[in-house]
Amino acid sequence: MIVEGKLSARVVGVDTISPTLKRFRFAPQGGGQFPTAAPGAHILVTLRGPDRVWKNSYSLVTTPEQRDQYAIIVRRADASRGGSHFLHDVITGGEAVELSAPASLFPIASLARKHILISGGIGLTPFLSYVPVLRSRKATFELHQFCSEGEAGVFRDLLGNEDGRIHVHGSTSRPALDQILADQPLGTHVYTCGPDRLMEGVAQTARRLGFPENAIHQESFGAATGGQPFVVRLTRSRKTIEVGETQTLLEALEAAGVEAPCLCRGGACGVCLVPVVDGEPEHRDHVLSDAERAEGRIIATCVSRAKSASLVLDL
Amino acid sequence: MIDQGIKSRPVYERLRIDHSGLRHLFVADTPSFSVEPLAAEAQALEVWAVAPLDSEGVSPALTDERHRSFRSVQGLIQRLTHRLKDERMGFRLYAAGREGFLWDVYGTAQQAGLGRQEVFLTHHGSTRRRVMCVHCRTFNEGVTTTIAQCEGCGAQLFVRDHFSRRLSAYMGVKVDAELPGDVPPAEQAYQ
Repeated sequence: MIVEGKLSARVVGVDTISPTLKRFRFAPQGGGQFPTAAPGAHILVTLRGPDRVWKNSYSLVTTPEQRDQYAIIVRRADASRGGSHFLHDVITGGEAVELSAPASLFPIASLARKHILISGGIGLTPFLSYVPVLRSRKATFELHQFCSEGEAGVFRDLLGNEDGRIHVHGSTSRPALDQILADQPLGTHVYTCGPDRLMEGVAQTARRLGFPENAIHQESFGAATGGQPFVVRLTRSRKTIEVGETQTLLEALEAAGVEAPCLCRGGACGVCLVPVVDGEPEHRDHVLSDAERAEGRIIATCVSRAKSASLVLDL
Repeated sequence: MIDQGIKSRPVYERLRIDHSGLRHLFVADTPSFSVEPLAAEAQALEVWAVAPLDSEGVSPALTDERHRSFRSVQGLIQRLTHRLKDERMGFRLYAAGREGFLWDVYGTAQQAGLGRQEVFLTHHGSTRRRVMCVHCRTFNEGVTTTIAQCEGCGAQLFVRDHFSRRLSAYMGVKVDAELPGDVPPAEQAYQ
């Protein structure tokens, strides 16, 4: 399922799409081909700045067949953890970067009869790899992109010819989610990616309309918001690390030079789970079961924090 | 009965209304299944059941508008196929009956786009098996013994617990393939 290993790559192009959006294109270092990526797959990009390292996940916007290049689209975020600023401001082309092999936690449901894709803002990116695949499979689908009025044109251009199945809704002409999801044929699946509020709205609306859980798909990486600072003690590496308000536990571990496992950085894949020896975790992931949450013996470092003033981890 | 430890043999649970659904239809291959507990969980439950002619006057009359009775299993499945074409998301299907019926219903539902989380099955009535001969692909209905002669090719078939949800049948394989004529005695296993 998850291919291990790292890919050495080079930035071969940077395209400015809008004042805050850039497309970064990567090619394998020394030629050759990248692995085939499933539609909706993402890669972890490791960026080495002068005094720190960022690891950020981005959806591939290239189609599965395209193996000579991978591309991602990145928004220069105002409240960024620094990665998007670094990409936008420092990367100009030619730099060497390290990519993870593509992982797919947001696949197209092969048994679905109809696919409804609902995205908000830059959450559109995984669907840029879905749409060509759905088109070539002659699948029944519709895409609804919600965005600000000013960006509607940019997203229309990214999606190419609007053909009745593709709808870009600027802020002045927004249909209600009910309107989009009501009265759908059996076998309809809904996929959503974007701000939490949109994804929750989509999931709740779909549930209210009787969609079973396995017909509701959410791409959940992105906003790992901060919280109260806390202290984490590591039993194996014998370190005590402070986790700041705007930092994730994983970032604090990385900043302290701890080799912590991770992949999606959004609480979706479960690669970063580590055992909790003491303290009470505040779970924010989408991986653990209710029973595992209640037990509090394991934590997803990329999104979860502490309810107690300190945590002790077996790391 | 011999437990052959084959996992494909379905395990059924008591039917419960899945309240994440908005519309509920229950189908049965017999009027003898007691649907009241299920109906008590969902006011709007529709009930379709097969009630052959000879059960008239024997089984309780199904009269109100939410109940519908059919003369045959084929009739019910045909009607179901038609109905599912017009159904929308939010629909849940429940079935009770013999195993062959259950998986015919499941196949019909799947054809219409319903998924695993939208169809619920429970076994009721005879445990006689539908057995597919892997040699000539004949479906042998109502098999009651551990070894049965294929109606198609005459082979002595061992009835494996290997169940195909797609074919809605158990697998029958020649029991004396290695030593022709060496057929162990059949046991009455499925009533």
